[in-house]
Amino acid sequence: MGSKTKVFIASSNRLLRESIVRILAKRTDFEIVGAQAICSTTRNEIVDSGAGTFVLDSLEFFLNAPILSSETGVRNRLAKSVLVAMDDSPDDFLMAIRHGAFGYVLQEASALDVVSAIRTVAEGEAVCPPRYVRVLFDHVAKQAAEFPSSRKRMQTGLTRREQQLVPLIGRGLSNKEIASHFGLSEQTVKNHIHRILRKVGASDRLSVSEACQITRLGWSTKSTADAV
Amino acid sequence: MKPIRVLVANRPRLMRELVMATISDQSDIEIVGEIHEESEIASAVEQTQPDFLIVALEQHDRLPEFCQSILQSHPQVKIIAIAPDRNSSVFYWASLRVQSNQIEASEAGVLSALRGKSRPVARIQ
Repeated sequence: MGSKTKVFIASSNRLLRESIVRILAKRTDFEIVGAQAICSTTRNEIVDSGAGTFVLDSLEFFLNAPILSSETGVRNRLAKSVLVAMDDSPDDFLMAIRHGAFGYVLQEASALDVVSAIRTVAEGEAVCPPRYVRVLFDHVAKQAAEFPSSRKRMQTGLTRREQQLVPLIGRGLSNKEIASHFGLSEQTVKNHIHRILRKVGASDRLSVSEACQITRLGWSTKSTADAV
Repeated sequence: MKPIRVLVANRPRLMRELVMATISDQSDIEIVGEIHEESEIASAVEQTQPDFLIVALEQHDRLPEFCQSILQSHPQVKIIAIAPDRNSSVFYWASLRVQSNQIEASEAGVLSALRGKSRPVARIQ
């Protein structure tokens, strides 16, 4: 039999906290290493407890406790977080993921869902409500459209900012409009466009979209020879 | 000894199931039903004749309207209301005029109330 999953439970809702402890204590694969109301020492208590997984019912605390989350998206290796009794809010869900959450369980989930989520997260997987998978897909697709990846940069030679400008150039926006959209000066936009034309081998701004074929999944660049 | 009969109808689902997990471990307390929808509570009370009804409290210290009619039509039923906020609180109505807001929002507090060990007081109108 493998080692037990060390779990820390932090919740200011005592009834919720005690009940989760109760249902986990019935399972042989969990060891409760701490359970307490959220307070100023909670962050350190979790770290000191040696917990591999911690359960939390406060998104606000999670977002504001740096060692438990990461604004850079690099997930904390000390303990994996499972947020429980969460409001049904896709925005909160995405915020939690950005800050390094591994599990997100809604308040309309079942008690067994909580147990399953803790177990799954402890095994190195991530858990979210089934219908939030679509939220995640949509978000990633949107991000890909708005912020083309570094792989595209490798393909096209365009910087991220230059990639962001391409769709707007294709839509016929003026330099002034593009500058306003990104909060840049017109001269900066002109400089960006000048570099884009050079990099993709387009003779004018009208050819930029053609040179950078925009697809639903991303965009690629025709060879310079084709574009000229 | 006759078990204490409890109808569990609080929301959200997670809190309801956790409360049920606590109660189901008690040999002297019996869950006679779990209700998901508020609209089904009155008929479930009629059908199961519980000693206690557990509901969610939307507004602090204010008994939901449907509970008022239950207390009038079923005076033997007592109501425990759990506020679904982060620092959950628990209220107890033994009748329309007798209540307690001193129930500890914990497993022990709820179990104590169910076992009649809490001391509800006459409400000052």
